[in-house]
Amino acid sequence: MPYSAEALFALLPELIGAVFLLVVLMVGVFLPGSVRVVGGLAAAGAAAVFAVAMWMFASGFHGTFFGGGYVVDGFALYFKLLVAGCAFFVVVACLGWAWSAGDATEYLVLILSVMFGATLLVSMRDLFGVFLALELSTIPSYALVAFDRRRRESSEGAMKYIITGAVASSVLLYGIVLIYGTTGSASLPDVAKTFSGPQQPAALLGLLLLISGFAFKVSAAPFHFWTPDAYQGAPATTAAFISVAPKMATFAVLLRVLTEGAPGEAPVWTAVLAVIAIVTMFAGNLPALRQTNVRRMLAYSSVAHSGYVLTAFAAWQGGARAEAVQAVMIYAVAYAVMNLGAFLVVDIVGEEAKSFNGLVRTRPGLAASMFVFMAALVGIPPLSGFWGKLWVILSGAGSGSVLTYVTVGALVVSTVISVPYYFGIVRGMLFEEPVSSEVVKKGEPAGLRLAVHALAFLTLIFFVGIAPLSAVARAAGML
Amino acid sequence: MITTVTIFIPLLGALLMLLLPEEFEERRVRAIAAAVAAVPLALTLYIYFVYRQDLGAPALTQDTTWVSALNIGYRVGLDGIGFGMFLLTALLTLIAVVAAWDVRRNLRQYFALLFVAEVGMLGVFAAQDLVLFYVFFELTLLPMYLLVGAWGDENRRAAAIKFFLYTFLGSTIMLAGFLAFGILAGSFSFSALEGGGGLSRVAQVAVAAPIVLGLLIKVPAVPLHGWLLDVYLSSPTSTNVLLSGVLPKLGTYGLLRVAIPLLPQGVHPFLPYIAILAVINILYGAFVGFMQQDLKALVSYSSLATLGFILLGASAVNAVGYNGAVLQQFTHGLYSALLFLVVGIFQARTGTRKIPELGGLVGRMPWAASLFAVGSLAAMGLPGLAVFSSEFMTLLGGYDAHPVQGILAALGIITGAFYFLYMLARVIFGPIKNPAYEAIQDATPLEMTAIFPLVALLVLLGFFPGLLVVVQHHAVQSVLTVIGGG
Repeated sequence: MPYSAEALFALLPELIGAVFLLVVLMVGVFLPGSVRVVGGLAAAGAAAVFAVAMWMFASGFHGTFFGGGYVVDGFALYFKLLVAGCAFFVVVACLGWAWSAGDATEYLVLILSVMFGATLLVSMRDLFGVFLALELSTIPSYALVAFDRRRRESSEGAMKYIITGAVASSVLLYGIVLIYGTTGSASLPDVAKTFSGPQQPAALLGLLLLISGFAFKVSAAPFHFWTPDAYQGAPATTAAFISVAPKMATFAVLLRVLTEGAPGEAPVWTAVLAVIAIVTMFAGNLPALRQTNVRRMLAYSSVAHSGYVLTAFAAWQGGARAEAVQAVMIYAVAYAVMNLGAFLVVDIVGEEAKSFNGLVRTRPGLAASMFVFMAALVGIPPLSGFWGKLWVILSGAGSGSVLTYVTVGALVVSTVISVPYYFGIVRGMLFEEPVSSEVVKKGEPAGLRLAVHALAFLTLIFFVGIAPLSAVARAAGML
Repeated sequence: MITTVTIFIPLLGALLMLLLPEEFEERRVRAIAAAVAAVPLALTLYIYFVYRQDLGAPALTQDTTWVSALNIGYRVGLDGIGFGMFLLTALLTLIAVVAAWDVRRNLRQYFALLFVAEVGMLGVFAAQDLVLFYVFFELTLLPMYLLVGAWGDENRRAAAIKFFLYTFLGSTIMLAGFLAFGILAGSFSFSALEGGGGLSRVAQVAVAAPIVLGLLIKVPAVPLHGWLLDVYLSSPTSTNVLLSGVLPKLGTYGLLRVAIPLLPQGVHPFLPYIAILAVINILYGAFVGFMQQDLKALVSYSSLATLGFILLGASAVNAVGYNGAVLQQFTHGLYSALLFLVVGIFQARTGTRKIPELGGLVGRMPWAASLFAVGSLAAMGLPGLAVFSSEFMTLLGGYDAHPVQGILAALGIITGAFYFLYMLARVIFGPIKNPAYEAIQDATPLEMTAIFPLVALLVLLGFFPGLLVVVQHHAVQSVLTVIGGG
């Protein structure tokens, strides 16, 4: 019974997200001047999606629906929680901006659209569904990047993002079509049958194209060139959001596509992803060393972190499959809290590295939070980033493949390389004289400040939650 | 439970420091901080008096599952090898708090960081799990980086980042070894890993190599010591107390308590080379120390030499050498803290650390100068002061295991004595070089309060080294049994 009430229930997080999206849009249009209401509704929407997903997770709800194209399982719900949580923090951070009511509505609707697409995405088990949901989460991102119309960088970054994104989508779609052509089906279990049978060169080519398309979307090398421009040009809350929520959802669905759709070709794609991971880590960390613009630096850093996640992908082949899936899941949360926080601090302080100078004297609380984020991004225990990396390393080390060992080695080396640029910020904040006192005067919204400190707190006490979180990840990660 | 409480009480202290109102009087902040720092010390002394006979194997343990998926546990406990360092950490932190007289800015934050560092250090010496050990090991890094970088002298920023990069690199290398070890053996618990955790000899060597390298950077062993001087020179006095008294011991303790007992066959091929590095440390420290014009640099290099003796004793892996190394960790903490404190006083009074500009201080500040002389004599290994017995034991053990290295290391005693005496002659004796020194004041009662316990312990342990050996002896024996049977 594909259209039973249960199927609708399975869609509940997306339905709620969509309803709130529409309500926010309506309220924004029909009640002009209601910035606060719109913001509150958007936050409530994200919170409601989170709560429903949590409830479904706790009640152990799972199943496949709509002809097998839509799946609800622990893995999907886990990432829905992550996406909704990120959206909530970003919306809270936007509360109280002194912007016009129209702008606020548009911006928040776009955030909710990305959330809608991303929550849908992680449940997709059909290649065309994956494509559609991926576009659904990407296209509003383009608009979010271009949102700041007064800044030239904003449109420039969006332009680059759109063009490369479109190319990526075509490559991805081409790959899907090749797979579909040889398999006769786009459903992952059927695709898996093709890949476990005799080798099909066309399908394999399709798989490689598919991986390339995804590599664009998650800014993995050598397809990462749009990232620094897009993140630098975008409003800071946008950069914070799109560097985390849709990206982690994309990683999740890629993991599902590869492990459920092509387990038979695992030696091929793990090897490809291992190489991509190595290149990505260095392509992110080395240019980051030279950046004087903090947003650009964080963009390169997020490229590097994509490489770290892909290391866990590469570890899937071999003896540590469950650990590899868990690694992706734990890394996603660890990364979300620290990276969101770091970008939001940039939103308050400014994007020039110099503006961080002497922050500890002018804004000690903010400096402390930024210090936590930077140290976590490096991977210093007991902060969140350490646990993410630890899981990745352990899954890689347990995989028993030489290439994965090399990838893990590259992760360790590139982590050390990353220290100077993260600590360049720290050094400026703590040990340099303030350039000007503008930051002090800048009255950022209380919501933004609240989000930053809450995220710093989560990053700091991550180690307390690591045991339950890993239990959840283990229970949920059944790919 | 008492172990966990002792480790984490400073964390509460750190929070308390941050919550104290801004306008709180400086004197009261200092008093509260000292009271907080006294608690772990009191608990540690309680453990000493009640449990000192039980520390042959890890006692007062707590074993809680932390990350069950990876078999990582919150496992802590104290044994004789860790206990001495536990005690030293608690003691030196209290002294560092009292000695923070030269810290004027942001006092509450300074103490908060000191306490966070203390959590890390105490944790390292109690951890019974590789990942937990690493977490605590790294927990010392950020506060130390901040303490040096924010409160040090004008060269502090470069020094702090250098320190951070070196030790982060070292600990990352070490972590790689830890993880490989834990995965191959299927557990991160010390008790499960003891004697090699069932790994083959080749596998043991492979995982021991990065662990030993990482620990040697932390010590630091000589070609890897590039960070040491800058950091020591740039730090405020009270940070120096911990930086030289406890921090290098994270490395030597890692060798004595983690690398050697857990990977006896793996570390074995490296032991002669560790002994060579030990000799290099001793001789390099002595010769380069001799050439220093800066008093603090001289003391720093003498630290390098003493750490060499610890390495020598560890590399011997026999009862006398091992006991000596464990004991030397403690005694070095005492005298180096003492010397750094007095150098700090000298600098505060005279405004310089240049040896040629000092001179005749004993006439103007007899107390400080005499204490400095006691510290220097202890550093030379004068019988009757604590360092003598431990240094002698490391040499004896070292000679037994590696005769050539042992003989060369013994030369270090002579050179060390020579340059310390030469230094004393120039700094505290002789004519007063600067007429301005006529007016300087001797050590204040507060300064004496910070220094005196160190002197007392140096003398006490000089005559009764058994007070500590009784705690560590059984633990050392059980390590040696593990190695012998491994």
